[in-house]
Amino acid sequence: MNAAVAQSPIVSITNVTKDYTLGKVVVPALRGVDLQVHPGEFISIAGPSGSGKTTLLNLIGCVDTATSGVVSVAGQDTKQLTERQLTHLRLHTIGFIFQSFNLVSVLSVFQNVEFPLLLQRKLDKNQRKERVNQLLEQVGLADHAKHRPNELSGGQRQRVAVARALVTRPQLVLADEPTANLDSVTGQNIIDLMKELNQKEGTTFIFSTHDAKVMSHANAVVRLADGKFLDRLTPSEAKRAMAAGAEGH
Amino acid sequence: MGQLRLLMQVAFRNLFTSKINILIGGIIFFGTLLVVVGGALLDSMDSAMSRSIIGSVAGHLQVYSDDSKEELSLYGGMGGEPDLAVLDDFSRIKPFLEKHPNVKTVVPMGTSGALISSGNTVDLTLARLRDLYKKRAEEGESPALRANIDSVKSHVRQMVSLMEEQRNKSRELLSSAAVDPQEAEALARARTDAFWDTFENDPFAALEFLENRIAPQLPDGDLLDMRYVGTDLDSFQRTFDRMEIVDGQPVPQGKRGMLLSKFYYENFLKLKTALRLDNIKQEKDLNQKRIDADPQLQRWVKENQTQTREILFQLDPIKTRQAVERLQKVLGNQEPSLEKLLSEFLTTTDDNFDTRYQQFYAELAPLLDLYRMRMGDNLTITAFTRTGYVQSVNVKIYGTYQFKGLEKSAMAGVINLMDLMSFRELYGYLSPDRKAEIAELQKNSGLKAVDRANAEDALFGEESGNSLVAEATPGLIEDAKAFEGALGALRRDDLAARVYSQQEIEQGVALSAAIILKDPEQLQQTMEELKQSATAAGLKLRVVSWQQAAGLIGQFVLMAKLVLYFAVFIIFIVALVIINNAMMMATLQRVREVGTMRAIGAQRSFILSMVLVETVLLGFVFGAGGALLGSGIMSALGSAGIPAGNEALYFFFSGPRLYPSLSAGNLIAAFVIVLLVSAISTLYPAFLATRVSPLQAMQTDE
Ligand SMILES: Nc1ncnc2c1ncn2[C@@H]1O[C@H](COP(=O)(O)OP(=O)(O)OP(=O)(O)O)[C@@H](O)[C@H]1O
Ligand SMILES: [Mg+2]
Repeated sequence: MNAAVAQSPIVSITNVTKDYTLGKVVVPALRGVDLQVHPGEFISIAGPSGSGKTTLLNLIGCVDTATSGVVSVAGQDTKQLTERQLTHLRLHTIGFIFQSFNLVSVLSVFQNVEFPLLLQRKLDKNQRKERVNQLLEQVGLADHAKHRPNELSGGQRQRVAVARALVTRPQLVLADEPTANLDSVTGQNIIDLMKELNQKEGTTFIFSTHDAKVMSHANAVVRLADGKFLDRLTPSEAKRAMAAGAEGH
Repeated sequence: MGQLRLLMQVAFRNLFTSKINILIGGIIFFGTLLVVVGGALLDSMDSAMSRSIIGSVAGHLQVYSDDSKEELSLYGGMGGEPDLAVLDDFSRIKPFLEKHPNVKTVVPMGTSGALISSGNTVDLTLARLRDLYKKRAEEGESPALRANIDSVKSHVRQMVSLMEEQRNKSRELLSSAAVDPQEAEALARARTDAFWDTFENDPFAALEFLENRIAPQLPDGDLLDMRYVGTDLDSFQRTFDRMEIVDGQPVPQGKRGMLLSKFYYENFLKLKTALRLDNIKQEKDLNQKRIDADPQLQRWVKENQTQTREILFQLDPIKTRQAVERLQKVLGNQEPSLEKLLSEFLTTTDDNFDTRYQQFYAELAPLLDLYRMRMGDNLTITAFTRTGYVQSVNVKIYGTYQFKGLEKSAMAGVINLMDLMSFRELYGYLSPDRKAEIAELQKNSGLKAVDRANAEDALFGEESGNSLVAEATPGLIEDAKAFEGALGALRRDDLAARVYSQQEIEQGVALSAAIILKDPEQLQQTMEELKQSATAAGLKLRVVSWQQAAGLIGQFVLMAKLVLYFAVFIIFIVALVIINNAMMMATLQRVREVGTMRAIGAQRSFILSMVLVETVLLGFVFGAGGALLGSGIMSALGSAGIPAGNEALYFFFSGPRLYPSLSAGNLIAAFVIVLLVSAISTLYPAFLATRVSPLQAMQTDE
């Protein structure tokens, strides 16, 4: 773990703010956040509703831009990149797991997982097949390759999404509340799966959650409050802090 | 490669899962169907009509003088005959045209028209009586002549009594003020026995009284419009091989004469009662119409019941008696009035029609002249020449003809054929030699000149515009002498016997020339080449295609096509709007999916191709479906044929049925249009889709 800290960070956020304008009202979602994430980390972002978790993940995922401050991903300052280059960065460096799975409904499980590879145009047909099957094996859905998403359970769908996020071997995987639409046992399974891949492949994970049990798997919990960085704790510290917070109410 | 396959797969699966796509597909399907079927039908009609036009008078190309003020219009234009300059000497133009390797034959032509009047029955009968008296004055009375005179006289007497009857009838309808007392007085006098008893004392005075005071009381006979094409009849018949003689015989080579169109002969020159019976029979047999259900048939029956005058006047007393006897037998009653008998006999119903039809032709027709003109009759056509004076020409009717397949076409049926010499004479364009020759022949036959005043009266009284008027002398061919009295027409037996050589026929004026090509495919090219070489040779010629030469008719299918394309255009504009809106909705429905793809790393160009591939595929699949169904319909129609329900359609169908065919061009055109429309209508929705932000992937759908 400590070795990872020694490497240059994969995500580096410095004094970032993000304002949303709703008509004439300016809503500050982030007000000066600093964060460093190193390769191989498995980080959970926590905080009350409206604290800016989703906003932060969107900035890291290059689907949105900061109002001020620097967001750099894989060593690149995202402010300096064009739309095309940002898309390219997302395709090759980042994997996404969505809260509501977001599979392409008309494609089979196999095709959904293959999709990013097709966009990349790096592998030929056989290589793709091998890679997809390997991932499906890892998420335990090898038998379901030909199924359509609507023939799967929520947990199975999220596994497909995990496989899709990891099929390109990205350096970074982002997941905004990946377990929110699942029951706690299934959610637990997904986190276990992510953790397993994190350990085996060394892929960096950043995910947000409200669930303390989910948080407990992370090697660090980054807490946000009111759009500000609050602290960076170990899961057990976080558990205690949150329990105290709950008592405080 | 893999991407394209993926796009195709996404598109293909979306095709049948999205309801909106089915809607769009439906529009494309019917649009293609319409373009394929409509286009193929019109194309087939176009080629059928071209066969009609080319095969009747036009040929592939028509040539006429470039000095013409108006354009050639073989079937007549809006304002009567077009104002054409003449081709001075056809014999100079013919070899020039025939030099072109693709020209097969060249036929000289001229189209014109005249009004012909049948004269009224009383006039004609009186003229016959006058001739008989004249003959008696010259040759003395023989028993045969006496019998003849008596017969005609009693016919006239019967007519007078018929006129009085009708007069009494109409008096019941009109107020007494409307009745001219002088007319009534004249009629009353002609009805008296005293008048007829003293007739022989001074027959010519009595005739004059009848001609001046009685005959004018009868409304005039019909004025008929008659169009004729003056041509080298022999060459015409060889060139237009769809032409066939129906009645009579062809005009002997080199002779003057006319061939009437069978259609014209039947529809305009036949006894109206018989024509109506024929029409009813045809509607019943061919179109399964019923008298009790069809107002048109009822109208014809009604007209037959009430309009018996034509028959009544035609029959002399002997034949009247015969007709009465026959009808009494047929109807099984003792009614003495022929008018009432006829009216009852012609009261036809669905039940008795077939028997009555058969009885009419078996019993009554032999007593009647069924046609106002017979084969062998002479027709005197009086017309304005180009230079504006009146010219009167006698032409013998040799027969009737029709174009195979166009028997029932009114369009092809209005064309009567005339020899080129008579045409030139009527048109005032005879060479000085010919004029001298005709003058000589006229002098030899010792006849008086045309009674111009009489002819001009008829002309100017009618206000017939640019027109030509003719007078027919029907049914009088047997006694040739009869012509002299009849309105001062010329008798030219010698002229009618004159045989012209081919050289004489060709050396002289024509209005246009029809060209038949060896290879019709090269029509456009040959047309251009002829134009160029005519200019180079200093001949002022206009060369036009059959389509242009046919005037408005030629444009008909073109116009129908424009209408179809306009309809297709409108339909596709509507389709464009609907598809556009539908695609917008589809795009909105798929915002999350598109956002997800964008988030995962799909570029905008990928999204654009995804939407476009989808529409093009949509257009392709449903377009192909429409085209397939269209082809199916066309091949079914192609083997069964579309019946020309309406006689006007015979011309456009080139026969009683149209056998349409589908060309590759129709299919390609339909496809191109459909793909273009679907691609254009997706441009904006596709653009919108590329603007979907990856952030929209995160939105949870509520
Ligand atoms: N598109 C937007 N337009 C305007 N305001 C926004 C938008 N997205 C977020 N906000 C505001 O920014 C703040 C941070 O929102 P964010 O979604 O990041 O919180 P969160 O921590 O993810 O909350 P939750 O736990 O409920 O998901 C909130 O006050 C929110 O109202
Ligand atoms: Mg959130």
